[in-house]
Amino acid sequence: MAASPDGQSRADDVPRRDSREVAMRVLLAGFTLLALAVPFMDFNPFFITLLTEALIFGIWAMSLDLLVGYTGLVSFGHAASFGLATYAAGLFAQNVSADFLLSTVVAMLAAAAVAFLTGLVVTRLSGIAFAILTLCICQVLFQISVVWRSFTGGLDGLIGVPLPTLFGREVEPGDELYFLTVATLIVTYLLLRRVVESPFGKTLLAIRANEDRAAAIGIDVRRHKLVILILSWMTGGVAGTLFVFLKAGANPMSLYWFESGNILAITILGGIGTLFGPIIGAIGFIFIRDQVTTMYRAWQFSFGLAFVLAVLFMPSGIAGITERFWRRLWPARS
Amino acid sequence: MAGAFVVEGLHKSFGALRAVNGVSLDIEAGQVHSLIGPNGAGKTTLFNCITGFLRPDAGRVLLNGNDVTHLPSHKLVKSGIVRTFQITQVFGELSAQENVELAARSREGRNFDFFRKASACREAREDAEESLQMVGLLEKAHLRPEELGHGDKRVLEVAIGLALKPEVLLLDEPTAGMSRTETERIARLVRQIAERMSVLLVEHDTEVVLSISDKITVMTQGRVIAQGSPEQISKDPQVQDAYLGAVEVGED
Repeated sequence: MAASPDGQSRADDVPRRDSREVAMRVLLAGFTLLALAVPFMDFNPFFITLLTEALIFGIWAMSLDLLVGYTGLVSFGHAASFGLATYAAGLFAQNVSADFLLSTVVAMLAAAAVAFLTGLVVTRLSGIAFAILTLCICQVLFQISVVWRSFTGGLDGLIGVPLPTLFGREVEPGDELYFLTVATLIVTYLLLRRVVESPFGKTLLAIRANEDRAAAIGIDVRRHKLVILILSWMTGGVAGTLFVFLKAGANPMSLYWFESGNILAITILGGIGTLFGPIIGAIGFIFIRDQVTTMYRAWQFSFGLAFVLAVLFMPSGIAGITERFWRRLWPARS
Repeated sequence: MAGAFVVEGLHKSFGALRAVNGVSLDIEAGQVHSLIGPNGAGKTTLFNCITGFLRPDAGRVLLNGNDVTHLPSHKLVKSGIVRTFQITQVFGELSAQENVELAARSREGRNFDFFRKASACREAREDAEESLQMVGLLEKAHLRPEELGHGDKRVLEVAIGLALKPEVLLLDEPTAGMSRTETERIARLVRQIAERMSVLLVEHDTEVVLSISDKITVMTQGRVIAQGSPEQISKDPQVQDAYLGAVEVGED
């Protein structure tokens, strides 16, 4: 009978899932230890700074994965979340307080407010229309940052943002800022992991698959899109905050459409719908960019080529390849 | 709980085409009310108007006396009106169980629950299992839709609807493309469902409709041409002219 082998595979599904879960946690702990050990490995300080930047981009790419990977909303304007936060946190640090936690909250609130306003319009849309309109909104923010000189410093941007403080103590650039970034990345990852595995996260998958069908089981599609947009921008805001402290300044180029394209490519190359993949994508991007820009000028061309090839030959990104390898080690079902 | 469901003078035009032209239905609580008619009669348009996927030009939809005409689809679901789709539209990357659980969690108001694991929602799991049991899919609950046969996929669609525990369930051609035995399975299921809720059934299979309905409405070209019990409908000369005869000849 068909029922009994089915029942069996279902029964021994459970221990396999568990060993997978354990393996996942071990891996996560391993990465964390590795990340924490890096400063003691005697790399040059520039390497640490570069790695910090890569991890910041990792947080930012995860925030975009919420939209692209989990909800199926391709945003071409995700630089907005990041750039906006660099200005919000930077101005706050210059004029009020350089406390890291406070600055982060301010940047997140600013991102949330603009995401809310943006969302009132863009949540009616999906597909190409969503992509184009997010691009437009980001360009508007870019223009504002260039034109409103007295507030944003125009094309020069904000200069001389102080070092952040944490519990009243100044965070030194280099190793300390790196540790702060690693800690933020881990907290963000764990929180977002929870969100995507929550009932809310599953409704996003339903929306991605079919908005009408989602509505027909009682899901308020627009409101869910609005909430995930706000959540995504707030997460991008966290990345922007770290970035403004790393660079000690903000620049309108963070809001340029080009950055939106970069982060989208990073997220897709890393593997959408995985959270983890985009972090790998970001690390790869930052280090390859660093190597290649010094070699030749047309590095954007090689990045574009790599992107096209990747989309053609590994549509589920770097994470997709590791996932396949992973499945072989810990098959989900016999 | 089964709800009383009334459609009053519903109109919907697309340009010059009057797809639904003044249709009224009266579905008593706990009944199976079927809607039949040849292709293009406006059944699916009517369905879409009732369930908030299209805006009717005129007319009202009442559930237990409350006007629910212009509610968006997700709110209609909350108020107790749930539909299934003619073309199976389950969520492909989720297992059958997860598909139904998604609906069960939605009914339980957990759509904005952020900090619990979806897989740890016990009530939703039990509700899902109950629905799957009812349609006879519990053994195959862990399979993904693509691994299910056509008939099983169709009843999965019904199980999703059941998990939402509506007062009125609207089934859009649940037997489309099914074999004789599968069709009988659905027919039995529909009778079983009617013990818990009212059913509005759009169906092509006249044999099924005549055997399981309490009341039948016949539509052609956007209008109701007859309404009554299966006996009345099968004897109605106008219906035989317009529909029954024609279908029996070309039945698939």
